[in-house]
Amino acid sequence: MSELLLRIVTPDRTIMDRMVSSVSFVGTDGRYGVLPHHAPLMTGIAQSGTAMITEIDGKQNEMFVTDGFAQVQHNTLTLVCEAGEFADEIDLERVKAAEVRAREQLAGLDKLSEDFLMAEGALRRALAREMIARRSGTGSMR
Amino acid sequence: MANLKELRGRIKSVSSIAQITGAMEMVASMKLRKVQAKAQNFSPYTAEIRHMIQRIATKVAGEEDVPLFTQREVKTVGFFLISSDRGLCGSYNSNLLQTLKRKVDELKAGGKQAKFWVYGRKGYTWLIRRGFEVERFFVEPALDKADFKSAKLVGEALVEAFTSGVCDELRLFSTRFLSMAKFVPTEQLFLPIRTIAVGDGAEQDNYALDFLIEPDASTVFNALMPRYLETVIFDAMLQSLTSEHASRRMAMKGATDAAGRMTKDLKKIYNRARQESITKELLDIIGGASAVS
Repeated sequence: MSELLLRIVTPDRTIMDRMVSSVSFVGTDGRYGVLPHHAPLMTGIAQSGTAMITEIDGKQNEMFVTDGFAQVQHNTLTLVCEAGEFADEIDLERVKAAEVRAREQLAGLDKLSEDFLMAEGALRRALAREMIARRSGTGSMR
Repeated sequence: MANLKELRGRIKSVSSIAQITGAMEMVASMKLRKVQAKAQNFSPYTAEIRHMIQRIATKVAGEEDVPLFTQREVKTVGFFLISSDRGLCGSYNSNLLQTLKRKVDELKAGGKQAKFWVYGRKGYTWLIRRGFEVERFFVEPALDKADFKSAKLVGEALVEAFTSGVCDELRLFSTRFLSMAKFVPTEQLFLPIRTIAVGDGAEQDNYALDFLIEPDASTVFNALMPRYLETVIFDAMLQSLTSEHASRRMAMKGATDAAGRMTKDLKKIYNRARQESITKELLDIIGGASAVS
């Protein structure tokens, strides 16, 4: 069975560097599915995206990746992003708190200000994290 | 007798200095370990970002006018200096500042101006004392606690300075950590971006140069550019911080060792003096006793 090398690199750590069978992630302009021997590619990763990793044994793992870039070459997909977490690494309580905070901020801000965009981004990230954590928590896969 | 007392005092003070420097050495090596791990974890990220920008620069170069690529006639050179906040770290700061001074003198001789952006109090006071003007002194957050966000802050300030024409060139002055015992002050051209122009090595590194870019080259490039600059700055910060701790550890180890040797020597002198006084006293007693009998 063919496989590809997936590397996920963040400023804090290298999260993954191993062979998988396919990956799908959210780019700046839509969802990408990367199978082994994908054509060379470079794109941005959405501000609050998710990546679905299909392991070699067919298991699926979902993770949160945010704000970065992806490139494919030589059968290697590299996701270079600000942060990335597996579902079981997400602290749901913290995410909840972040969501509440972001909502409060959003309510009091001018819709055209830069702060609004920042708060909106924070809210999106919180929601994406929450989604992933919940989905894996119930054990149901899409 | 006064001599003996004096010696005792000195032995005591030297050994308490050894205690302090020993503690500082331990603290420094602990911090060093932490920072080094951080730097190590960060380096793959730096490598990837660098790699990407090199790849994409081949696509963008010549296609359009990117302000950060523009080379102007250099009249004012900006320096971003990363020094330490605290002293007692051996020749860490002075090495860096000597290198800087040579560079600045050279520029001055060529009729150019220099402006400074500084991280670290030592570098700041050094510049001020020599009458240089510091454009901006970054204090918050302290370098120890600096994270990616502070690199962003610095990056924005520097890009702003460059694009608004405050300076025509920006150089990074920091210390590169080569090994536990080797740190080299380095100068790095920051803006305009020249180093990432497609090297001849590009093909040999077997980058796949023919690749798809979504949505298009300039969009990705414009998103990647600020990230790249921050990464370069953060990398320099981490390297400097690692060097600082390593340098402090070495200096403190030297001090502790020297203090240990000194205590040993002083003890020898002290014992000799004590023996001498005992002998003298004994002679006195014997002399006195024989006079009585």
